[in-house]
Amino acid sequence: MSTGEEQTDDAEQAIEPTEAKLTELKSLLGEHVLDTEEHLNAPGIVIRPDDVQAVLSTLKEEAGYDHCSCVTAQQYDDRYESIYHLKKFADPTDEVSVVVPTARDDPISESAAPVFTTADWHEREAYDLVGIEYDDHPDLRRILLPETWQGHPLRDDYDQDRPQIVTLRENANPLQKDHRGDPEDGESDTMFLNIGPHHPATHGVLHLETVLDGEQVVDVESDIGYLHRCEEQMCQQGTYRHQIMPYPDRWDYISAGLLNEWAYARAAEDLADIEVPEYAQVIRTMSAELCRIASHMLAMATFALDINGDFTATFMWAIREREKAQAILEDLTGQRMMFNYFRLGGVAWDLPDPREDFFEKSRDFLDGLPGATREFHDLLTNNEIFQLRTIDTGVIDPETAKDFGCTGPVARGSGIDYDLRRDDPYGYYDELEWDVITEDGCDNYSRLLVRMREVEQSAKIIDQCIDLLEGWPDEEREIQANVPRTLKPERDTEIYKAVEGAKGELGIYIRADGTDKPGRFKIRSPCFSNLQSLPAMAEGEYIPDLVAALGSLDIVLGEVDR
Amino acid sequence: MSGALASTLAAAPTLLQSGDGNGGDAAVLLPEWLADVLGLDGLGGAGTAIAALIAAFAIANVMLIQAALAGPWLKRKIAAAFWGKLGPNRMGPGGSLIIIADAVRMLSKELIVPDGADRPAWDLAPIVVAGSAMVGFAVIPFGEIGGVQIQLADPEIGLVLVFAIASVTSVGLVMGGYASSNKYSMLGSLRAVAQNIAYEIPLILAAGSVVIFAGSLQLSEIVAAQQETLVGPIPAWYAIVNPFAFVLFLIANLAEVGRNPFDIPEAPTEIVAGYQTEYSSVYFVLIYLGEFLHIFLGGAIAAVVFLGGGAGPVLPGPIWLIAKMWAFFLFTQWARQTFPRVRIDQLIEIGWKGLLVLTFANLILTAILVGVLEGDVEFSMAALQVITA
Repeated sequence: MSTGEEQTDDAEQAIEPTEAKLTELKSLLGEHVLDTEEHLNAPGIVIRPDDVQAVLSTLKEEAGYDHCSCVTAQQYDDRYESIYHLKKFADPTDEVSVVVPTARDDPISESAAPVFTTADWHEREAYDLVGIEYDDHPDLRRILLPETWQGHPLRDDYDQDRPQIVTLRENANPLQKDHRGDPEDGESDTMFLNIGPHHPATHGVLHLETVLDGEQVVDVESDIGYLHRCEEQMCQQGTYRHQIMPYPDRWDYISAGLLNEWAYARAAEDLADIEVPEYAQVIRTMSAELCRIASHMLAMATFALDINGDFTATFMWAIREREKAQAILEDLTGQRMMFNYFRLGGVAWDLPDPREDFFEKSRDFLDGLPGATREFHDLLTNNEIFQLRTIDTGVIDPETAKDFGCTGPVARGSGIDYDLRRDDPYGYYDELEWDVITEDGCDNYSRLLVRMREVEQSAKIIDQCIDLLEGWPDEEREIQANVPRTLKPERDTEIYKAVEGAKGELGIYIRADGTDKPGRFKIRSPCFSNLQSLPAMAEGEYIPDLVAALGSLDIVLGEVDR
Repeated sequence: MSGALASTLAAAPTLLQSGDGNGGDAAVLLPEWLADVLGLDGLGGAGTAIAALIAAFAIANVMLIQAALAGPWLKRKIAAAFWGKLGPNRMGPGGSLIIIADAVRMLSKELIVPDGADRPAWDLAPIVVAGSAMVGFAVIPFGEIGGVQIQLADPEIGLVLVFAIASVTSVGLVMGGYASSNKYSMLGSLRAVAQNIAYEIPLILAAGSVVIFAGSLQLSEIVAAQQETLVGPIPAWYAIVNPFAFVLFLIANLAEVGRNPFDIPEAPTEIVAGYQTEYSSVYFVLIYLGEFLHIFLGGAIAAVVFLGGGAGPVLPGPIWLIAKMWAFFLFTQWARQTFPRVRIDQLIEIGWKGLLVLTFANLILTAILVGVLEGDVEFSMAALQVITA
């Protein structure tokens, strides 16, 4: 759309502040900076593997990069690389990538876990899949794959055809190590309890290794990976243009599909410099918010299930509201859960005909929503027993939440005013009237309240989108930009982009290798980071509060394990 | 087992004729009437025992049929009504044949015995749970039909006995939970004990205020005392005379039968299914049955103590009593659909710091009031002394 001259101007304008930032960072870090790189989203600084803690803590303390969004590990022909994607909670567009190359024959890097707690799990994943070892890591074990797994699957010398033969005896049997927390003399008051992987409160296949003192939780550790489906590897084997888009639906598979698709669409569109038509952006915004409502309804339903302890009216009524959103999404996309509706550069097709029916149905849903919300407030938030159970339980203070990389309703329930839809605008959000919801309670109750109030804001957004779509002139309904049949982004362009998913910041890192498939595809799952904060919420509390805290995190194991 | 126990009770020498003038004609108890009709009188003690057995069999079956209706079918129908769904509607009229389908399904499942189960205790627990709830019905006065009092036994200490029997259930829960060799079961049984201790006392104290009104522990006396009218057509049910005690009793009763918001020993989302986690097949059916019988027993006690027993217009007494039991069952289901579950420490706190104090206050106030009303000043003074002490 724009002329070549303008593009150059834009590019120059974009590079100038980046260079200013780089100079600033160089003066801050001095000797530590070996080299600089240019990622599409942020400047990258290359540092020595034994300088990680020094550099990251300087960046955190002095430059204000307090959000370690993601850690990407990958292998090149000559080296391994860990990339720490840092952001500011105050301004997520202010990013910096800290690149830590390590030798190919001896990939050892210093751990960032003492600086950012969230790096703990991210580095375990990097160790598990890529095989980089992190010095000074508190607990460097495999996290997604079984303890006995042979090899690191994302290394290029990994032989996928070699069968994993590990005898049953060598596998860790959680039932055998049954006396953790018991000292040798056996006079301890604590009891080790496996909660999950099959348990009504784990919302999927999550295994919580808990140590109990009576009814109180002394220690809780999440064991994840039961639902690991190699999503990253699968995306690396698909072409940008068409083959990757169906996968995001399967990450957070409970009705947040379009939000996930948007994460990939945003990263890939920025990578390939694709401009999405405004009309398509409005459709995207509307349908993504419908997904958010559906997802929050389910979160509320399951949270009510955790607190009420049975399939109760609250659960069923919330499912009923979700069903209405699902029906609208089905009309739009043809699917109920695995939508596959977004395309790079737009959406698959326009609104269904007749458009008036679609608008009417959506409006009916929105009109009914305040009444439904009132019902849920009556049943849940205004119920005294419910308040007794949720207020001041599962508390996580804002600083701890930031340290754990919590995002989404979990962070906003702790009073962190952080929402990528507003702070790092994409789609049509910055043109619309809506508010970011925060609550200062830091407890289970606040997290639920944030979700319930966000539903109202989503409804507001959808309402405005419908108005816009209704008035959109016929001839300007462009749903898809002109995107080449085969996308081959330039070799070694790297990008990390995130969107505000239903559970929080859903980020995608892509490194292009010059082919039509990504060289490295990394998913930053909000649930993964949020789940990591569970011990901070639950230790010292009672079992029912552990269950409530887990419910209030609203995790989806499909996204945690990927 | 329940039949045998009931018959022993029926044959016990504490048998008394009911009715003190307000209750109308002195009615005959069901076993006595049966002995008379069947001509078993001639057999002496053996005849009475046989008659009691037959009567117990009949009552037990009525209860079992109710539990069968409630468990697989009506519970689902009621829940569905709360959810805005239809509930079971494919098998038989209104889906009622799901009772048979469910029974076949449950009974044909494999009985899985956990490895470290403490065998005799583990096997006995379901029987104790179901049996204790069933035995409680032995002393419930169902009301009169044609001069026959549908009641198996009417001991003087009826109210105490029925509470004692109902709380034997917790022994079953502890046995089952402890013998299952499962940590969830163990947690569940420990919770059951804590809960029962915390709620038994308020429950009995709330009922105790009624005893002060009625001046008797005999259930038929308590029912008879409620047959008068208070003002106009309003009956003198203790729920109306002392609604405060009734509310306290209902709350404590919910905890006693372990329903929401006090279903803590089971707590499906926390400790899987609590004490019953390891039970399957027939044993599970027995525990499940015991739970429903327990709810009905709780309803029957509430009806007898506070709602005038079988009192009601037109229809015969037993129908009314059963209707009141079902009303209590509906109440538990309503609570289940809407109330979140309290935490165990909160439950103990409510029990010991809230209900216990309130029920004591209620008991003493009732004592003073009754003393003043009946001109028995000494009685009131004694109650006052308890307060000051």
